[in-house]
Amino acid sequence: MADFSLPPETERFRAELRAWLATSLTPRILAAGRRGPTDPDAFDTIRAWNRELADAGWAAISWPPEYGGRGASVLEQLVYVEETVRARAPMPLNVIGLNNIAPALMQYGTEEQKRTLLPRMMQADDIWCQGMSEPEAGSDLASLRTRATRDGDHFVVEGHKTWTSLGHRADWCQLYVRTDPEAPKHQGISCLVVDMHLPGIEARPLPTLTGETHFAEVFFDDVRVPADALLGPLDGGWQVATTTLSHERANAARLYAELQVRLEELTADLLRADEDGASVASDPVTLHRLGELAVRADFLECLCKRSISAGLHGRDPFASASLAKTVWGELGQDIAALAYDALGPDSAGGRWADGRLSARSLTIAGGTTQINKNITAQRVLGLPRR
Amino acid sequence: MNLELTDEQLALRDTVRRFLAQKAPVASFVRPLLDDPTGTTDEVWLGLADLGTTGLLVPAEHGGAGMSMAEAGVVLEELGRALYPGPWQSTAVCSARLLTRAADAADADASEVPKLLRCIAEGSVVATVVLHDGAVEVAGDGGAEGTILSGAVASVPDAAAADVLIVPVAERDGSALFAVDAAAAGVGATPLHPADPTRKRGALTFDGAPARRLGTLPPDAEGVLADDALVASAADALGAAQAVLDMAIEYAKVRTQFGAPIGSFQAVQHLCVDMVETVELARSGVLHALWAADAAGDEERHLAAVRCKAFAGRLATVGDAAIQVFGGVGYTWEHDAHLYLRRLLGWSACGGSSDRYLEELGSRLVRSVQEARARP
Repeated sequence: MADFSLPPETERFRAELRAWLATSLTPRILAAGRRGPTDPDAFDTIRAWNRELADAGWAAISWPPEYGGRGASVLEQLVYVEETVRARAPMPLNVIGLNNIAPALMQYGTEEQKRTLLPRMMQADDIWCQGMSEPEAGSDLASLRTRATRDGDHFVVEGHKTWTSLGHRADWCQLYVRTDPEAPKHQGISCLVVDMHLPGIEARPLPTLTGETHFAEVFFDDVRVPADALLGPLDGGWQVATTTLSHERANAARLYAELQVRLEELTADLLRADEDGASVASDPVTLHRLGELAVRADFLECLCKRSISAGLHGRDPFASASLAKTVWGELGQDIAALAYDALGPDSAGGRWADGRLSARSLTIAGGTTQINKNITAQRVLGLPRR
Repeated sequence: MNLELTDEQLALRDTVRRFLAQKAPVASFVRPLLDDPTGTTDEVWLGLADLGTTGLLVPAEHGGAGMSMAEAGVVLEELGRALYPGPWQSTAVCSARLLTRAADAADADASEVPKLLRCIAEGSVVATVVLHDGAVEVAGDGGAEGTILSGAVASVPDAAAADVLIVPVAERDGSALFAVDAAAAGVGATPLHPADPTRKRGALTFDGAPARRLGTLPPDAEGVLADDALVASAADALGAAQAVLDMAIEYAKVRTQFGAPIGSFQAVQHLCVDMVETVELARSGVLHALWAADAAGDEERHLAAVRCKAFAGRLATVGDAAIQVFGGVGYTWEHDAHLYLRRLLGWSACGGSSDRYLEELGSRLVRSVQEARARP
């Protein structure tokens, strides 16, 4: 029978984590989390906090114990995401590394790579980025053009990546390159683990529409990468990419938890505005919009849990997971719109105005909503291709 | 946490779906009953009872299956999918749940409650609960016949189909539950003609109607029942929305224009995916609310039910979008699409528009954040 409750041992796990977060998350760390890693001071504070998480065994709970994780269950991961998001813990600098790159390193990496790279990733001693998107390969990721040509015991890399999170701060890159230009597009891709300090690599910050520099463009000009940097089979990079992407599972919890927190913060700011003489928190139109957003956020929670449950019980979570991502993007934008409409451009130091603009990424990053809908229409509903 | 349907629930779903497809198809059962005030026939009702569905929520000691709202939700979804027009929800959910609560709080007068529950499970009694906001009062002691009720209720589900009307009436401390035979002198039922002719409602008058006292109700039983009714209607509407969505997608695969199936056009694909998004959100909320109806605390149960109702307006857009996919043929009386849209619009309007509930949920969020801020 459908059961939304969590087992007592998972709730004990929640209590333990919550207690630890309550004592460890100092105001300084919370402030750094609000400013984000693009602020250099905040970057250092978050890095120190990531180390603290690692030392306490809370940095990568899903990793097996041999690599410093806890071998956490899916439900523990769900609780972990909920609690860290609700406590406003800063997003780990290596969030992509911990969730997406590490599983590929564990599956395909050499013992040497695992032994040297994983602990430093967990400690945030090394910052990792992922070289996927290119100017001509956005939603159509498999059309990427950055080339790696074998030359003796090296690959020579030539190309241009973009939208690389923290690319300009990174020490390592999980880089997707074309190694067989003659093969069909999904079959000629390989994955390399590249030291970002090699000669010929230039990472330029790519300011987004709010002026923030979270992303970089990364240029590879005749970069000689040792051949043992190959991760997984030669020309088997697409398979490496899809294993990493399918490892996320409980991360669906992030979708609803973040939006619920944002709704609460918006509501708190509405109340603050009223204390300053406005009357937005009692305005029927605002309340109506707020209620509509809250229903969708809470239904999104149930949808994400259905997706997690499907994976847990041997069913295919694809349909619910891709719908959840679409809902998340649209809902995040609607929350941002209400915040801007109700609170105006100057509220909270311009935070909601920035949020109104930055919310555009929610339906673009990681594959646009429109392409996602095409995929759902064809793969889930079985509608014909043109 | 396990949100998958069990094998038993899947079997129940398939059994009810097969039965309705054979015995109560839209063309030969629902459509002929569109103007009928009861929406029910003995054959189909007894068939539903034989499958054990009318006693699904009746406790085992009273002759039922003693199951939970999760199983009732499985049946309700099938009833909505089939546009079933009869009094199942009124009898097997609302009456069964309220009578079960009265039986739990059994006092000396409760003797008829087990009998009524048994009759509901057998299929020999059709009942409905009359919620009336104080419009019905005890007008006096009718002597040998018992109590006399008077009052008028504007809209009662399945008023014409019911054999027995279950009427809670507020007393000095708490509520008492009464049973009134629908055929008794002093009871008047006038069919209403709502926008959704697949769900029957009627106006009721009690003019010195003889009533039998069934017992007292536990505190807030009517509030809990109102939540049960919301969740039940939401599950029914979910079934209707899923059905019309499935029909639209199948149509988009076979309907050819400009030399291609219309489902190959991105604009149509996105319309379909938007419908799926709405239906799957509703399904997620209904699944949670059905679980919460039996397993969660009062606050979570009530909120989960109100969310389903608040989403009803949005769910109805699935009927709109389906007609858009069907195009001209979906605009005809012959096509069933409008019946599904009517079912969804009926749910959207029932108990007040979704707007009111959305505003209520907004206010709740404001209150909860206010309370959290007040805490040290």
